[in-house]
Amino acid sequence: MTVRGLWRPVVLTAFVLFMVIPLVATVLLSAATRWDRTIWPEGFTLAWWAKVTARSGFRETLVNSLAVSLVTVIGAVLLVTPAAYWARLRAPRAQPWIELLAIVPFGLPGVVLALGLLRFYANVPVPLVNTPAILVAAYLVLTLPFMFRSIVNALDAIDARVLTEAAHSLGAGSVRSLVFVIAPNIVPGILNGSLLVFSTVFAEFTLANLLVGSRFKTFPIFLVEFTRFDARQASALAVMSFLIAWILSLALIWVAGRGEPSRETITMR
Amino acid sequence: MTAFHQRRPRRRAWLPATLALTPFFLFGLAFEVVPVLVLVRSSLIVDGGPSLDSFRRALTPFMLASFRNSLQLSLTTAVLGVTLGTTVAYALVTTRTSAIRHLLTALADVTTNFGGAPLAFAFIVTLGSTGVVTMLLKAVGVDLYPRFRIYSESGLTVAYLYFQLPLMILLILPALLGLRAELREAATSLGATPAQFWLRVGIPILAPSLLGSFLLLFANAFGAYATAWTLTGPDVNLVTVQIAALVRGEVQLDPSLADALALLSLAVMALCVAGQQWLSRRVRRGAA
Repeated sequence: MTVRGLWRPVVLTAFVLFMVIPLVATVLLSAATRWDRTIWPEGFTLAWWAKVTARSGFRETLVNSLAVSLVTVIGAVLLVTPAAYWARLRAPRAQPWIELLAIVPFGLPGVVLALGLLRFYANVPVPLVNTPAILVAAYLVLTLPFMFRSIVNALDAIDARVLTEAAHSLGAGSVRSLVFVIAPNIVPGILNGSLLVFSTVFAEFTLANLLVGSRFKTFPIFLVEFTRFDARQASALAVMSFLIAWILSLALIWVAGRGEPSRETITMR
Repeated sequence: MTAFHQRRPRRRAWLPATLALTPFFLFGLAFEVVPVLVLVRSSLIVDGGPSLDSFRRALTPFMLASFRNSLQLSLTTAVLGVTLGTTVAYALVTTRTSAIRHLLTALADVTTNFGGAPLAFAFIVTLGSTGVVTMLLKAVGVDLYPRFRIYSESGLTVAYLYFQLPLMILLILPALLGLRAELREAATSLGATPAQFWLRVGIPILAPSLLGSFLLLFANAFGAYATAWTLTGPDVNLVTVQIAALVRGEVQLDPSLADALALLSLAVMALCVAGQQWLSRRVRRGAA
């Protein structure tokens, strides 16, 4: 290989090392007996994994995070699908407004959204502040772009108008065409959006911390608490988060590989 | 399932579009528009009249420094993300082994979802004072500490690159793939040197994508909080860290001043996202 062609393997190797070393280090630390004096762990154990998963907070926060993620996914599907479909077919004038609402969250930092929600809902007689409900609402806003894009892409891909006209000509009403004709055809888009929403919500820390904090602890909050006092148990939790994110990404790649339009590669941190 | 919907009366008249659109717009109004408008009103109205006084009073030297730090961190990680990410992406597009291309694209796909708290922690494990790489480098005679600290701004730059880099790769890959073969051949057959090709054809075609990605990366870093908080706590003075402290009530400040800070950071983000959207529309029109 000539020197000129050498830049490619060098760049790619450096990239892989940068992306992989932090992950490998975290995995090793979570299974190391002791690793602060030597270059390689002094021994290996599953004690930290056993210890941290046996904690009551572990199960509780895991269940909380799963619940919030699932509820947000369901809410996002129910909120976005009919609106995106009707705007496309019946109310094109609503389209730009929906698109605007689905873009704004990109420019809305989590801390600002939290501040605005608390400012407003602290002063209205709706008991939302400090409940998981306001967290779900905030997550719906945060993930609106993902669900909207996924569903619009899917609607574009199937030519929803022709399908709807076909359904109507066979006597189906609008609701029936959406539920029995359109929805089954955009399942890959709904699935794609759901996975993006789920993985975003499951790993979200900022809004959970600021909106509900210790009253409804999620998995990322549990993790951050551990980073402050037990590195090895925290690393076991971090590995779990990475594993969950990894599995969801694989599912996304798999869904995308089944002929769906490419996913939006925009995430929020 | 069939029995269930056969029993239901058929609805001939289509449900008015409003019934499908109303929940969406009500939700957007209640949880997206109103919270932002509340911040706008409280920061722009002083004693019943419009005034910029809140902004003037909110921007103490300390808060100005937080904006400077946030802008600097976003600029650095966006510039590094765009240049390094494009380099890696270009290496990926031009590599002859398709297995490597697929594997590394999948790596970027997965790692772009790794962020926030677990990522910050992984970097403490890697580059903390007793981190793996820190120890390794020490063993070969390179002392990172105390000149470099992962719990500082330079540490944050490295950690932010971990999510900026794969994001950039995924954003620019389609543009690079679209650019590759035919244009290059056409330019070469017309006698263009590689340098001329990049200067006259490659860069101008990629420019909107590069600029759009840059804005997205910039906003991505500017609005980030979880990584910074897990890694450095209150040690690094960033806008998001300050706003979060105000939300939690750790710092006592006139609410309208806090809202002014939030609105300023919102303005920075809005400029980035609006610019990015405009550019991506141009790219899409160009492709069509």
